[in-house]
Amino acid sequence: MATDDRELDALRGKSSELENHYIDELAAGRLSRRQFMRKGAVIGMSTTMMGAILAACGGANSVGTSSASSSASASGTPTKGGTLKLATQAPSAAVNPLTVADAGGLCMLAQTGEFLAFDDNLALQLKPMLATAWKPSQNGAVWTFSLRQGVKFHDGSPLTADDVVYTFQQLSNTKNASNALSNLGGVVTPDGVKKVDASTVAFHLEAPNGNFPYLVSSDNYNAIIVPKGYDYGNWQKTFIGTGPFKLKSYTQNVGADFIANPTYWGGAPHLDSTAFTFYTSQQPQILALQGGTVDVIVQFVAQGAQSILNNTQYAIISLKSSNHRELSMRNDMTPFTDPRVRQAIALSLDRPGMVQALLTGKGQVGNDSPFAPKFPSTNTSVPQRTQDIAKAKQLLSAAGHPNGFSTTLTTEQYEEIPALAQVIAEAASKIGVTIKLKVENQTDYYGKATYGNSDWLDAIMSLVDYGDRGVPNVFLESPLSSGGPWNAARFHNKTYDGLVKQYVAAVDLQTQKTLAGKIESLLLQETPIVIPYFIDGLTATTSTVHGVNPTALSAIFLKDAYKTA
Amino acid sequence: MLVFILKRVGLGLITLWILSVIVFFAAQVLPGDPARSILGPLAAPSAVTALSHQLGTDKPVIEQYWTWITHFVTGNPGNSYQYQAPIGPLLTTALVNSLKLAAVAFILVVPLGIIGGVVAALNIGKPLDRVLSVFGLSAVVIPELVSGIILILIFGIWLNVLPIEASTPPGSSIGTQLYHLILPAIPLVLILFGYIQQMARAGTAEALASDYARTATLKGLPRGVMIRRHILRNSLLPTITVIATQTGYLIGGLVLVETLFHYNGIGSLIYNAANNKDFPMLEAGVLTIGIVYMVATLSADILYSLLNPRIRYQGVE
Repeated sequence: MATDDRELDALRGKSSELENHYIDELAAGRLSRRQFMRKGAVIGMSTTMMGAILAACGGANSVGTSSASSSASASGTPTKGGTLKLATQAPSAAVNPLTVADAGGLCMLAQTGEFLAFDDNLALQLKPMLATAWKPSQNGAVWTFSLRQGVKFHDGSPLTADDVVYTFQQLSNTKNASNALSNLGGVVTPDGVKKVDASTVAFHLEAPNGNFPYLVSSDNYNAIIVPKGYDYGNWQKTFIGTGPFKLKSYTQNVGADFIANPTYWGGAPHLDSTAFTFYTSQQPQILALQGGTVDVIVQFVAQGAQSILNNTQYAIISLKSSNHRELSMRNDMTPFTDPRVRQAIALSLDRPGMVQALLTGKGQVGNDSPFAPKFPSTNTSVPQRTQDIAKAKQLLSAAGHPNGFSTTLTTEQYEEIPALAQVIAEAASKIGVTIKLKVENQTDYYGKATYGNSDWLDAIMSLVDYGDRGVPNVFLESPLSSGGPWNAARFHNKTYDGLVKQYVAAVDLQTQKTLAGKIESLLLQETPIVIPYFIDGLTATTSTVHGVNPTALSAIFLKDAYKTA
Repeated sequence: MLVFILKRVGLGLITLWILSVIVFFAAQVLPGDPARSILGPLAAPSAVTALSHQLGTDKPVIEQYWTWITHFVTGNPGNSYQYQAPIGPLLTTALVNSLKLAAVAFILVVPLGIIGGVVAALNIGKPLDRVLSVFGLSAVVIPELVSGIILILIFGIWLNVLPIEASTPPGSSIGTQLYHLILPAIPLVLILFGYIQQMARAGTAEALASDYARTATLKGLPRGVMIRRHILRNSLLPTITVIATQTGYLIGGLVLVETLFHYNGIGSLIYNAANNKDFPMLEAGVLTIGIVYMVATLSADILYSLLNPRIRYQGVE
């Protein structure tokens, strides 16, 4: 791969310091072409610029966007018109962009609403949406977003910086019932959201944050842009947004219909309309797909879906995700005060076997840190932990438990988790540890979700679910750092806290990777938690459906979707 | 008769009020709170506090109950916490759906059950009686979920002759709606058939063995006329009781069937409300079922007295 130095130098001249850093990394081969595209997108480099740089570095002209998986990518000329019928989880509460916290609700928000950036889970790349470009300040503490021109809300009013400022001030206000606070809390306050001019908004962060654009992207599903002054409580009457589809009707517990927005800034969608039917459990959705009542199941889990997983009539879109299960062991309670005991538990697990048995292979093995394979910053040079019963027994003996011990694992009734708890207990029995299981319903298990009022946070061993995020920040901070609100393991480690702070602030990928490696090694050594696997996001369509773009968070984007006869 | 009905209605109102109190305080014992169930377990505490305040669930329990009941008696059931929308339309849609499904199930099961019971009683001890009784009793113990999935697989996917979704698009004709309700009604028919068949069988057998039946036979009435005029009427009495007592189940207890066949009924509505501590919705739902149940038992009592002159006007004269 020949590099055209002169061409590259010319491009360097037009680029910022950080951009030049990525160009160096790419030229030196430390960054793959795909990683370069991803990282470049995060710091706001344009696709044309990145394409030119890749070309100068002696590559083909293939630019990341065409790398979508085959089942979802458009093949041939799209068919115009028609209605796409989709099955989705029923929104469990009012569809209010401020409060939505469930799969069904966030899927609805993304039908008519749009974000500043779009985390394309198929291409594993952050793409412009309502913002066309973004730039960090030198240290990553201020991020400036340029807004797309000519965008109109469904009521005809134009999108301006005021709307964006209003949206993020509402979302980041601790006086509001904002669910986005779990992402934006401690990152930005209402005062930090500032209008620069009519089409530019700046976010002045509480602390440098290298991955901030993800927090204003579709990953932060509450962050659809609403018109300035809009009453969030009324949103479910209008579904007002800027997206490719407009609301036709929404009926609680029943379904929602959308029609194409002919004046969409990105051009009208192929479909005339979409029709969502709400379900409260998975089995009827699978039956509906098989019976031809729907064309798409927005999201399902592998357990109980064998009939469509191994059937050529259906296309399965499998998305790498950071959705995972976390087994915490109380670092402040015997016998888990000794890291060797925690390591022994982790070493007893047959992870590839678990992925196969519990997820029918639709997942990635975990290495006891939140760095999922999908994150570009994940340091893959850290060795993967594998099952080693002999070493586990040896560690237990050294820690003073040659005959094992007995303890209780508390967990929740959710998806495959009770089965996973069973598998963990069986694995532990091989090293002489007896684990009694206590499976609770989710309300009892989470309790008030504060220390002292929650079985999840207080149990000596606890197994919980964490949904997909675009960046590992929340996973690194909330359940593992000393001041974190969900530190079920009571892990307190100053070195760790320091490394995470540096990681969150780091803007360039190489620094992030180096720090990630240190964090991963530290977590393997200390093993406050076990993460056995990451679960792929699954979407099913009939073979006649093309161009759907789902996310691992159970949203689905249908601008480019169409149906062939 | 009028006094009897008025008395029953009065007692009914008191029962409903006690029911509302029980539901309210029982709901307080349930874990969780509405704001947290809306915002999810990982929501920021400040957000939960803000939402609780907005919903009014941070007020004292008695005050919440008082606000609710004063609105309720004036005909305003209020807003659902969970859906942030008026309860009236949500509940009406669900109730009408549930009534439709129950009606289809009743229309199918009542004649089948009574005929099955009478035929069994007429052939008492013979193989036909055995077959009917064993089938009926076995069907009672098959959970709706199991029979429902088997039915969907056979009729919906394999043979592809019946729709597997109970819901129909808005504005569908009555015919289409009934067509969609056939499959979901069958699991209910299977469960109820055994009850009704056994009651009808016992009633018929008893009537057949009675003095008046013997007299009728001895005075030379043809068997068909005897059964129609004397036996059926008496054997129906216990059957009515069974049907009335099953109404509550048929209207409010069909969470599994509603989920499986994707039907927006009142059972799922109440179940969700209880899960999310959506108190106004829960109260309204439970009271609605209570009213339906009371109307059903009252109608049964009236029907009973019409069919059986012996107990007519008992409480009055």
